Amino acid sequence: MRGPREVPILQIEQLAVAYATRHGDVAAVRDVSFEIHRAQTFGIVGESGCGKSTVAFGMVNFLGRNGRITGGRILFQGQDLVKRSELELRKLRGDRIAMVYQDPMQALNPAMTLGDQMAEVLIVHRSMKRSAAMERCKQMLERVYMPDPASVMRRYPHQISGGQQQRIVIAMALLNDPALLIMDEPTTALDVTVEAAVLDLINDLQNEFDTAIMYISHNLGVIARVSDEIGVMYAGEMVERADVKDIFARPSHPYTLGLLRCIPRLDTTKRSTTLQPIRGRVPSPTALPPGCIFEPRCPFARPACSHQPIPMREIQPGHWARCLYAEEILEHKDDLSDDMVNIIIGVAPKTDNGGPILRVKEAKTYYPVASKQIIGGQKQYVKAVDNVSMEAMPGRTLGIVGESGCGKSTLVKTIIGLEKLSGGEIEFMGMDISTPVSKRSEALIKDLQMVFQNPDSTLNPSFSVGYQIARPLRRFKTVPRNQVRDEVIRLLNMMRLGENYYGRLPRQLSGGEKQRVAIARAIAAQPKLVLCDEPVSALDVSVQAAVLNLLLEIQQQLGTTMVFIAHDLSVVRFFCDHLAVMYLGQIAEIGPAEAIYLPPYHPYTEALLSAVPIPDPSAEQKHIRLGGSVPSALNPPTGCRFHTRCPRRAMLPDGGAICEREDPPAQFDTDQHRIYCHIPLEELRKMEAVVTIEKEGPHVG
Amino acid sequence: MSALSGGTKTAEKRPSRLRRLWGGFSIILESRVGTIGLCIIVFWVLVAIFAPLLAPRDPLSQDSDAINKGSSEQYLLGTDQLGRDILSRLIFGTRTILVLAPLSVLASVTVGTILGLTAGYFGGLVDEVVMRLLDAIMAFPTILLYLIIIAAIGPSAVNVVIAITFVGTPGIARLVRSLTLDIRTRDYIRAAQTRGEHPLYIMFVEILPNVRGPLIIDALLRVGYAIFAIGTLGFLGLGLPPPTPDWGGMVAEARKFIWTAPLNVLWPILAITSLVVGLNLFADGLREETTRYQ
Amino acid sequence: MFRFILRRLGFMLLTMFLVSVVIFLVSEVAPGDVARHILGQFATDDQVKLLRQQMGLEQPLYVRYFDWLVGNEWRLRNKVDMPLVYTKARPKDEIQWWAEESDGTLVQWKYKTSSGSLEQIRIAPDDSREVVDFEGWKTRDDGSQYFWGVDTAGHVVLWVKNVEGAGSGPAAAGRSLGTSGGQEYYPLKKGLLRGDPGISLRTNRPVGPTLARRLRNSFSLALIAFLLIMPIALALGILAGLREGSALDRSISLFSLITTSVPEFASGVFLILVLSFWLDLLPGASVFVDDTAPLQQPKLIILPVLTLTLAEVGYVARMTRASMVEVMNAPYIRTAILKGLPYRRIVFRHALRNALMAPITVIMLHVNWLVGGIVVVEAVFGYPGLGLYMLDSALFKDVNAIEAGAMVMVALAVGTQLIADIIYTFLNPRIRFT
Repeated sequence: MRGPREVPILQIEQLAVAYATRHGDVAAVRDVSFEIHRAQTFGIVGESGCGKSTVAFGMVNFLGRNGRITGGRILFQGQDLVKRSELELRKLRGDRIAMVYQDPMQALNPAMTLGDQMAEVLIVHRSMKRSAAMERCKQMLERVYMPDPASVMRRYPHQISGGQQQRIVIAMALLNDPALLIMDEPTTALDVTVEAAVLDLINDLQNEFDTAIMYISHNLGVIARVSDEIGVMYAGEMVERADVKDIFARPSHPYTLGLLRCIPRLDTTKRSTTLQPIRGRVPSPTALPPGCIFEPRCPFARPACSHQPIPMREIQPGHWARCLYAEEILEHKDDLSDDMVNIIIGVAPKTDNGGPILRVKEAKTYYPVASKQIIGGQKQYVKAVDNVSMEAMPGRTLGIVGESGCGKSTLVKTIIGLEKLSGGEIEFMGMDISTPVSKRSEALIKDLQMVFQNPDSTLNPSFSVGYQIARPLRRFKTVPRNQVRDEVIRLLNMMRLGENYYGRLPRQLSGGEKQRVAIARAIAAQPKLVLCDEPVSALDVSVQAAVLNLLLEIQQQLGTTMVFIAHDLSVVRFFCDHLAVMYLGQIAEIGPAEAIYLPPYHPYTEALLSAVPIPDPSAEQKHIRLGGSVPSALNPPTGCRFHTRCPRRAMLPDGGAICEREDPPAQFDTDQHRIYCHIPLEELRKMEAVVTIEKEGPHVG
Repeated sequence: MSALSGGTKTAEKRPSRLRRLWGGFSIILESRVGTIGLCIIVFWVLVAIFAPLLAPRDPLSQDSDAINKGSSEQYLLGTDQLGRDILSRLIFGTRTILVLAPLSVLASVTVGTILGLTAGYFGGLVDEVVMRLLDAIMAFPTILLYLIIIAAIGPSAVNVVIAITFVGTPGIARLVRSLTLDIRTRDYIRAAQTRGEHPLYIMFVEILPNVRGPLIIDALLRVGYAIFAIGTLGFLGLGLPPPTPDWGGMVAEARKFIWTAPLNVLWPILAITSLVVGLNLFADGLREETTRYQ
Repeated sequence: MFRFILRRLGFMLLTMFLVSVVIFLVSEVAPGDVARHILGQFATDDQVKLLRQQMGLEQPLYVRYFDWLVGNEWRLRNKVDMPLVYTKARPKDEIQWWAEESDGTLVQWKYKTSSGSLEQIRIAPDDSREVVDFEGWKTRDDGSQYFWGVDTAGHVVLWVKNVEGAGSGPAAAGRSLGTSGGQEYYPLKKGLLRGDPGISLRTNRPVGPTLARRLRNSFSLALIAFLLIMPIALALGILAGLREGSALDRSISLFSLITTSVPEFASGVFLILVLSFWLDLLPGASVFVDDTAPLQQPKLIILPVLTLTLAEVGYVARMTRASMVEVMNAPYIRTAILKGLPYRRIVFRHALRNALMAPITVIMLHVNWLVGGIVVVEAVFGYPGLGLYMLDSALFKDVNAIEAGAMVMVALAVGTQLIADIIYTFLNPRIRFT
């Protein structure tokens, strides 16, 4: 693909970036070196705060008022960018070097038409006439498969969907045929099926344009899919760099290994494996350890590690690692070093006697919306949840997956009573709980608790951790008044936080710690059912593993039933016993977790599974992509709600006319596994598995 | 907070609260502008406290031999048209203004916070009714509202406080409401709701403490506005009835004699200007430093 | 978008309605008796009672509110049995209430204390005036004779033959009412909404024309100030916002903070002290001959305008700066920079429009503040504008003038907000296309 003697498009040598703060310079990025060749994609992966975005913005010397490059060289097509004047950089930006950003909505000017925003790149850099520039933009939009480009160009950013916005940004970046394209988490804000389509687009374009791409992501699956070569960053340093297959097959830095071991994968469940969280937390850039930066958290650390900074070294041709013992790491991969060893996963307490603890029957949650007419007009409803039926078994976990807007959060809020049920019924332990929380009895309220998504808003910033955990204890009189403090400390210990967290305020905690406190608060009153609304999706993967383990442990010890919402199919697969797949307010498929991941599939489940980025370059995935975007829940499609996008409709005679007319029937694969689809089960059973992961070979975790 | 969380915690909370207080204080000192503002405020507060000690003579006693006289050994800043000592009147005027202004702001903060919390938390019809009423009040140019109210109830210290409270309340209610609307969507409020907490508990225990920061800064700015307003009302003859020493009134009186005793008008102007500027500098410094701190 | 504007218009009407209620309640229900205030403390209780009746104060509150708002002659004409008109009988007369006969002759009635009977003032369509004795009394069942008519001071009055009313109080207070001897009085009102704010208690002349003149004067002052303030303030704000954190930014911010903090009366008097007393450059007080044409003496309005400008520039500049800073830190400006656009293009094409969106509404809201400043500035300089009129009326408790003036001021303030909202929708495509 590339000649060895060809000059790389981008060559970074020992780049260092610092930010000036009140307490002096903070070195945000140190000693980062890599190169990218023509038509090659270099992926940078790391958790939040590791400096990967700083590297990206450092390329174009756009580091804000207080940031600056303090060392190293950035050779772009052989020329050093570091000492370039602002004017020279300006001429490169948007022309030779283009960028794509994380949040396309924010990145586009809300007050300019999309056409104007695109065309000005050509007008400024190519001195094109406006009409010619517009024409060229239109062609480019066609190349990124934008439907109806001419009308899109007359629109404003808020008038198109997130996936389309990102297509616009990508098209804009490619207008001048740049030599280097920097993509900073371009799909992070997008849903998984949209993400898959955008990733496909990036692949196509790369083949077509010969551009060198620097691709930044926190998601190992995405990085595995797009990259040729990968650099792993940790705390401002690149700790490992190698070919994509090499990294996943032979991780040679303990951090890389740690990352791979702490993410659940599509083929793993809590019965087959444990997640290994990385202990401790990322060091603050103002207080870095003297030796290896990962040494304080490293399970393999030896005395020599803490003496002096470790240099990057080439352990095999093309495989670099910043570890003294890189060659030995792989041998130790099975040494379980963490204190989580004692959890014996897979033996869920047998409490299956009797029926489900929670039964949702034909639940509907509608929101009225203001009518478009000024007076009169018919009242319209957003049908956030429409005719959903499901059950949760005691002591088990029911997972709900679906893309944003599918109604999974609304469903859970309706169960807990934060939203009003518009129809149907919900039964909990034989009692009717169709009422909002304010009308429920204290005993009922106590038995249903919730863990929320956003760690930064789950705790009241004004009160100490101790007070917030103690509140439910006092309110529900779980323990006598004088034992509240002891009980809180017991809970803190159970969360592996310890007594000294009692008086801390939320702002002194990290995201994972906040989420643990929130879990402690939820289980303090010993509820029977805990509803978890994406409790780990805002956390870094290493922290996510610890929180998942904690939830598993709680379920083991207390036999708590859980309802677990997530959009990450790997997490759900790992964590849940049963699964419901939701689309546009309805259930597409529900059943035991392992059954969901194997045929027969609902066509939507199949598409979802095909879109999941898998952190294993050797995995094989069927290629199924959904067209269009999710219709509005205000006016959902008739019949099967998925019919507008269903790639499998053609399997039906007459092209699936029935899908538009009639609601899909529930088809029982087994008595627990139902699929709501018009396509006969026999047909669905004939589908192949979407994902095949080689069981042999180097398998980490 | 400690009252709610029981006795065991108060002991270990105390040092941290002191430290937090100092933390907040040191934040202000980080800003030069804020520090200057603070110094001006402290100066005037001290003047108000020690007014009887500092003032050379009775602010009300008239000396018919010294009418509109300039500065002299006997009268440091001269005398006014009734032969009263301007310095003493200035010093005692501090007391009037530094009592009335914070008092009226306190009153409007109390009323405004309750209205804003209620409207913001319950939303819907309650919100609609409360906010429409407040909008109606806010539609008035402030001075006009003062004119109408004072014309209706007559000028007096209490009525000035009532008028300023009335005028200030909608702004605070709006601020608290918008903060409440934001906080209401936070997960910790949802958590409290799923615990079945009473709306009053959620409003006053869960939300109110988190409104505190912006509210304090706003209140500080409003003390400045209140002083501004008291001065203006005094100047327009709608403030405190004479002979109470009142800076605005002093300007209005001296304004008539500007051609004979020009400096008489200058002193009260300097006094009121420095105090309002000081408060605004302080509030601004505080706001800047707290946002930077976050 | 039209829906949005209509909604705002609806809110504006609602607000104005609430405002009128507030104004009416605050000024009418206020402690203290207006009639007593007018007559002074030596008037007898009977005199006060009569005046209260003549002013309509004895009627229920809601009746008074609607009379004030929409007038009452269409209701009272049933008593008189003739159309009632508010007009100048002859070109040189003052505007007055008349009953109109079918041939267009205007009539009023006057009570003759000496004889206890009525005489009729008649003005024919050809402007000829005559006074005749009136004998059109009506007879009740008990034999007493009565008549409902219009008196010379704009009341519908019930007279009873040979029975005198509650004395002749108002005449004693020097008011033009004269003795009227009626039994019941209803003051005629055309209503604020129909352009008649009533009679000023202070000058005893219709409020309307004075108000209009004063409003025009204030408007000229405000307009000059506004035209001066906006460019300066926006320029300062944008400059400071573009150079966030620089020395220029800090100086502009500090200057704005200080100038906005200084009360207008302080800066106004200070400017007089410096510019006219010490430097002797400008006249210190606006000595306006009357309130008809203040702009003919341009030198006199320099100081008022300067004072207003000083007070307002800082505020607008601060708002603009804050908005500019926010926009310049927005991700889409980062995009524009990384697209390699020249700085000017980034500022003018990408930043300005977004940055001006937020302050426009705030600036327009600030018109309230500007109005406040105008009241004070007019008081300081004796400028014959609406503000000074309001102040004088407030000091005199001239309820009619206060109510009318307040409604006008609020309508202006709310109206500018509406305009601001409309401008905002045009600037902001997110509202324009939804």
